[in-house]
This record gives sequence, structure tokens and C-alpha cells, in this order.
Amino acid sequence: MNEFPDGGSLMAGPAAQPGDPALESAARWPEPAWSAWAGTAVRLGLAVVWGWAGLAKTADPAEAAQAVRAYEILPEGLVKPIGYGLPFLELALALLLVIGLGVRLVAGVCALLLLTFITGIASAWARGISIDCGCFGGGGHVDASQTEYLQEILRDTGFLLLAGWLLWRPRTRLSADGWLAS
Amino acid sequence: MSEKNREGKRTARERMLEQRAAERASSRRRKKLIVGGSVLAVIAAAAITGVLVQNQRSKPETPAAAPAGTIGDKNLVIPVGASNAPSVLTVYEDPRCPACGIFEREFSATIDQLEDAGKIYTNAHIVSFIDRAVPGKGSKNGANALACAQDAGHFRDFHDVLYRNQPDETNDAFGNKAVLLNLAKQVDGLDTPEFQACVNDNKYGGWVSSVQQDFDKSSYKSTPTVLLNGKPIFPKNGDEEITPANLVKWVDAANQGKQLGTAGSHGQTPAPTAAASEANNPSPTAG
Repeated sequence: MNEFPDGGSLMAGPAAQPGDPALESAARWPEPAWSAWAGTAVRLGLAVVWGWAGLAKTADPAEAAQAVRAYEILPEGLVKPIGYGLPFLELALALLLVIGLGVRLVAGVCALLLLTFITGIASAWARGISIDCGCFGGGGHVDASQTEYLQEILRDTGFLLLAGWLLWRPRTRLSADGWLAS
Repeated sequence: MSEKNREGKRTARERMLEQRAAERASSRRRKKLIVGGSVLAVIAAAAITGVLVQNQRSKPETPAAAPAGTIGDKNLVIPVGASNAPSVLTVYEDPRCPACGIFEREFSATIDQLEDAGKIYTNAHIVSFIDRAVPGKGSKNGANALACAQDAGHFRDFHDVLYRNQPDETNDAFGNKAVLLNLAKQVDGLDTPEFQACVNDNKYGGWVSSVQQDFDKSSYKSTPTVLLNGKPIFPKNGDEEITPANLVKWVDAANQGKQLGTAGSHGQTPAPTAAASEANNPSPTAG
């Protein structure tokens, strides 16, 4: 009885009804066995995305800065710190996802970052400027015929779904979180 | 009495269980805080390290070495023609940019003639951003080779040769230094051991990067960007389409009543031999 996460069952006693929210969530508690493994796959998939994106942006700092500058959103003083720091932040997310530490928090940061990216791309699209998103290196101004805003937004939305999965089901196999909880 | 006692026992048991639950909850909370703190610390440390490392790695914006004869604030501009010519033609070009190739093949003979007549002083910004969009090294290696040619006093001839032999944008031929050195043989007097070393060692790599960073910060977004006395004239000057004839007309209009610059300098310091000019200029009447 007392392994109920909120200890509520003690108080509820015989008065607990099948409709009781605490009982309901407890009854649902064991997720399907495949879900934790699926979570591991999602975690590693997202880690590959961040790792690739981060690595591609570290080679040429000036290029990374220009990719940020081309959005024409941030003031010049923030262009270099963001251009220089963001790829390493992405690499840190990749590392945390691989080891599976603080999965729900990391997934939250991923989701926030992806929402920021999607907003930035949509804003560039809406303002009619012609840039490459610079998501996986590159970036900066391109010919108007070479913009791929829709594909870029759809791709980031796909990644956002992966992050959303981990926010919903942060318990995954082969994770530091699991190891710390045992 | 016994009823009351039972009541007391139940309360004690309840209290104990409640306390245990509270302890478990607080231990869970502590663990969560530690994990959350570690996650945020890793993210912050990575971002700060990134800023510091990349700041260290990024080339200084004022390059240590600039090709001989370059002008401007940080010596980022290659001048062609007589500096006392009344009009200034500013050109931003990437060696790999197809539109620049089309522009050069149509206009280089006219521009060379205008320079040699002392009518315009060209300021060339050799940018190198195509490598970012189309993977390769052709922009950067090509720009460095042009800087080396400037150092050797053969910028204009080598520049014209490069654009006449420009590969497709997706073909990174200029990324191959041997291709650049081979093309340099078409410019008399350029194929020297110094030039070869300059190209092979990427001697002006830092300068090339600085020129690009300068362009990044400019308001110009594409190449070629062509300005006549600071006013954009490509692809149109007002309502008029740019053509070789229109370019001459616009330059003459801008120069009206002004003294022309020193003629026949062939845009070089030092001036190359006449043979080089004849061998490499598609219109030998230049000058």
C-alpha cells in the first residue's frame, strides 16, 4: 500500500473509490515494458542530432557567428557569445542524453531550444530574409531560391516530438537516472 | 479507556509512517536537486567553455599579415588602377560564386579598360563564404591565392584568369591548390617559388578570414556586390540594367568635369610586363 508515490492511500483507506485520481494514476503506473526501451532509443537518437549539430558548428567560429547574425534578431554584442557558446551547449545536451542524467530536465531544455530555433526560422521566413538556418553548420545568407524554411521547421518539429516523448516518459533503460534510483 | 488507547496507538503508527513518507519525499527532492543542479552546471560549463575556446580560436579581426599594397582600415581591400582616378568601383566577389563568374566574364574587359584609362579606381573585397554553403575550400584557397598574386603584383591578371576558368559552384576545383598553381602559369611572371609557397602554406588565411568577417558585418548579403562611388549598380542602377556600355556611360557621367587619374597603370604595383598584358588580357586594346 505505502509504495504509492504520494502516500495518499494511507489516508484514503477504505474510502478510496475506483474513481480516485491517486488510485487511478497508481493503477496505470507500470508503463508498458517496451516504453523504457523506446525511451532509450529516443534519447540516443536525440543525442546523435545534438552531437552532429554541435560538432558541425565548432569548426569555424566566424561562420557560426555569421549564422546567428544572419537572423537579424540579436544585437551585435550577443552574436559572438551565442555563435560560440551554442554549439557547445548542444554537445553538452548530447552528452547528458547519452548518459541519461536528468532526462526530464534535459528534455525540457531541448524542447525550449528547439522552440527557439523554430521561432527564429519562422521569423526569418516571415520577414522575407533569405538565410540558411545554420542548424547543422553553414548558415548565413543564401539566394532566395535556396531557402528551405519549411523543411527546416518540419525537421525541428520532428526533433521537438522526440524531446516531448522524453518529457512525457523520462524513465528509460540504460540511464544514469535509473542507476541512481536503484 | 482501551478504545482511547487503540486510538493513541493508531495515531503513533500513522505519525511514524507519515514521517517515513516525508523522509522519503525529502530524500527524493534532494536527489532531484542534485541531479538538476549537475545538469544545469554541465550545460552552463559547456556554454562558457565554448565562448572562451572559440574566442581564443577565432582569428583576430586585424590580420597579422596583409598582402602588399592593400588599403583600407585594416588593409582588407585590394586596389586596382590609379588611386587618383575620379571614380571608385567597389566590388565584393567570392572566387567560387557563379554570379561573380558571369559578371566577370561579361565586364572584366570593360573594367580593365576603365582602370587603364584612369577613369576608375577599383577596390576589390575578396570574400569567401560560398565554402559555408557548398562544402569545400575553393573560396578560401582561391582568395588566398589572389592575395598571393596581389603580393606578387599580378592580382588583376590572375583574378581575370581565375574567373575565366571558374568551375561549377558544386565542383570544388579551386579547393585544390595544384589547380590554382596551374592556372597561375597563365600569368607571366607569377609562377615563382614565393607564389607557390604562399599558396601552399595558405599564407594569407588569416587575412582572408578577416575580409570575410568584414563582409559579414556589412549590410551587403550577396556577391557580386558592385558599387560605383558607393552606390549599388548591380544588377541595376536605378531603373537601368547594368551592361558594359551602361557602365562606361555611368562612369563617364560621374567623372564629368573631373581630371582623370594616371593612365595605363594596368592596375598593378609594380606594373607587370607588357607581354603579360597581351598574353592574358582578352582585349589587348586595353590601356
